Amino acid sequence: MKNKTDGKIDRKWAIPLSILACLAIMYVCTVTGIASIPFRDANRILLHEFLHLDVDMEGITDGSITIIRSVRLPRVVLGFLAGASLAVCGAGFQGIFKNPMADPFVLGVSSGAALGAAIGIVLHFGTTLLAFVGAFLTITLVYNISKVGKKVPVATLLLSGIAVSQTLSATMSIIMILNKQSMDQIMFWTMGSLNGKGWGQIITVLPYSLLGIALLLTTCRELDIMLTGEETAIQLGVNVESLKKRVLFASTVITAAVISVTGIIGFVGLVVPHVVRMITGPKHRVLMPLSLLFGGTFLIICDTAARSMAVWEIPVGIITSLCGGPFFIYLLRRMKRGGGL
Amino acid sequence: MKENILEFHQIAAGYGDRQILKDVTLAIREGDFAGLIGSNGTGKSTLIKCVSGLLPLKRGKIMICGRDNTSLKSRERAQMVAVVPQSYHVEYDFTVEDIVMMGRNPYLSFRKKESQTDRDIVEEAMQMTNTAVFRDRLYNELSGGERQRVILARAIAQKPRIILLDEPTSALDVHHQIEVMELITRLNREEHMTVLAVLHDINMASRFCQRMIMLQEGVVTADGTPREVINRQNMESLYKMKLMIRESPLFHKPEIIPIRVMPEEKITAPCHIHVICGATEAVHLLEELDAKGYTLSAGVLNKLSEDWNICQELKIPCVDIEPFTPVTEEKQAENLEFMENADIILVAGVPFGESNIMNLHGLDQTRGELYIHRNALSHDYTDGKLAKQIQLLERTKDITYIETNSAFLEILKQKEYLDKNEA
Repeated sequence: MKNKTDGKIDRKWAIPLSILACLAIMYVCTVTGIASIPFRDANRILLHEFLHLDVDMEGITDGSITIIRSVRLPRVVLGFLAGASLAVCGAGFQGIFKNPMADPFVLGVSSGAALGAAIGIVLHFGTTLLAFVGAFLTITLVYNISKVGKKVPVATLLLSGIAVSQTLSATMSIIMILNKQSMDQIMFWTMGSLNGKGWGQIITVLPYSLLGIALLLTTCRELDIMLTGEETAIQLGVNVESLKKRVLFASTVITAAVISVTGIIGFVGLVVPHVVRMITGPKHRVLMPLSLLFGGTFLIICDTAARSMAVWEIPVGIITSLCGGPFFIYLLRRMKRGGGL
Repeated sequence: MKENILEFHQIAAGYGDRQILKDVTLAIREGDFAGLIGSNGTGKSTLIKCVSGLLPLKRGKIMICGRDNTSLKSRERAQMVAVVPQSYHVEYDFTVEDIVMMGRNPYLSFRKKESQTDRDIVEEAMQMTNTAVFRDRLYNELSGGERQRVILARAIAQKPRIILLDEPTSALDVHHQIEVMELITRLNREEHMTVLAVLHDINMASRFCQRMIMLQEGVVTADGTPREVINRQNMESLYKMKLMIRESPLFHKPEIIPIRVMPEEKITAPCHIHVICGATEAVHLLEELDAKGYTLSAGVLNKLSEDWNICQELKIPCVDIEPFTPVTEEKQAENLEFMENADIILVAGVPFGESNIMNLHGLDQTRGELYIHRNALSHDYTDGKLAKQIQLLERTKDITYIETNSAFLEILKQKEYLDKNEA
């Protein structure tokens, strides 16, 4: 019995403790960076600019204030928002697909967005908007291809996702070859970066993310049951087709909004829900909020590394994949040994 | 008369072009404990799937508690009908309590969280199924019997009026089979749940169900009490094999004893064998000889003995006497009449005592070859009369002693071979 109570206390404190840890990391990442702003100065700027406290600002240059206010902090906030959004979508996708290898991009949302962005870059017109539209059109296409009567079988959904995704990627490659002058820009877009993003982008993404995440959080219990099998879920009163639609819709809104701003940031949506599931178990009521916190934190750390490690900036998508790839291999090895996931 | 809780009106269903259920009309009454039997692939599980909303009908309709199944939302249906599958695997690490709590889903929504009432119902379901003791263990790590109890607990937590079971015991050992069936019986009697169970084991169905429904090639071919449904005609047409039906002495329910699917090799020339037996020794031998096509007779048998039962079942002519009465001279005379035309007379491994020693009188007058099972000699309760009788017989007849029934069958086989070659 003792263990059980301990376990309950652990669970009760898991989310508040994670929030605290997350805030601490956000703080550390804000004061860290390649521009040498002394630690003390950075603290003073934060207190003055955001808590509006009357601190002595003597000796701090306007440049430092701008770096903290308009460069680092928005990057940290957007990083958190993007990471959190992608991780929650990943958890949702892994739930409806009953497949631990699913991520928010598995149905081709990313390829659609990339194609849209590529067109935007070539035409010098509304890259973000076209990426968003591309992502949405793709998921609509995949969904309708997979539809059999009123139902959407999960296996067909995954397969048509892969097929559509490949086709769109190929189309994007053609665009790149035909427009060599834009190739670098398109390449960088597909690698994902938070570089040069500010409060404006955050305001754009925020409503979609909040709405989508709120919708996903209402599906927790049904997703739990879905993990025990689709037929069982129907027999336990889950409206499986509506659940799939809700999760797909919410995830697409979130993912499309995020990647149309940041580009494709891979592996966060795949790896984060996994790690959290290993720690907390499969119940979405805990898995979803913790994935949100962990995903956000993970991306902030990766982004801080991306902007601080080298003289030139590395796209954050490369860092996440660099961490995510080996971890994915580790997971595969574990599965092979029958470790279970 | 109780009201119908589940009705099937001329339903047809199947997968793709393959029609599994062709025309099923059936009414399950409230409080029924009905067993659905049928060989593999006759649509029993399909019927369950149709009720639980997994498979749409091609024709007809299903009424659940007076409402058309197609008009029910899945949560409404799940409040009335719970399903227990054959075996059930979960890939993720849910605890027993998590799984049982999922049974409350039809009563909850994202606005309505689990209340104390829900927790009480789950607790009660776990107590009833004896699963509360391992509530914190992972479902994955349980044994087959424990898992099945957890799934039953989940079904109980649904508080359904009807519980559908799809071969709930087929993956379990005999202890857990009975445990699960007893639990279902309790749900039927104490919780007043109507039970419709697909059962493979006819004897299990006969023992626990009040009603049996036989499904063959997508139609109902028999429906009634176990006694009405389990008869030789139904069972042989269902399983296409040789089997025996008898009354279980323990449960007073009919039970089947499957015998064989592959036909025995038939003898080519007619041959009459008379078997002297009377208790339980010759049951298997008589059946096998009968299947091979020998003309048989037997005597003198005590009524209600196993040997007598098989003679009745296989319609082997025999001389019989009332239980626990001695063989009289008249009866032995009748017995000898049967033996008159016999090619072979076998004294099976029956114990001899004062009441049946008369069975050996007059054998010296018969023309058939005489075989005696050794067990007959070693179970002698006659104070030496048996030995004396045998000695007397040995003077006039050649006696072949056999050690086992299969040795006897082997001798018959060789004999037939020789006879055939001579011919």
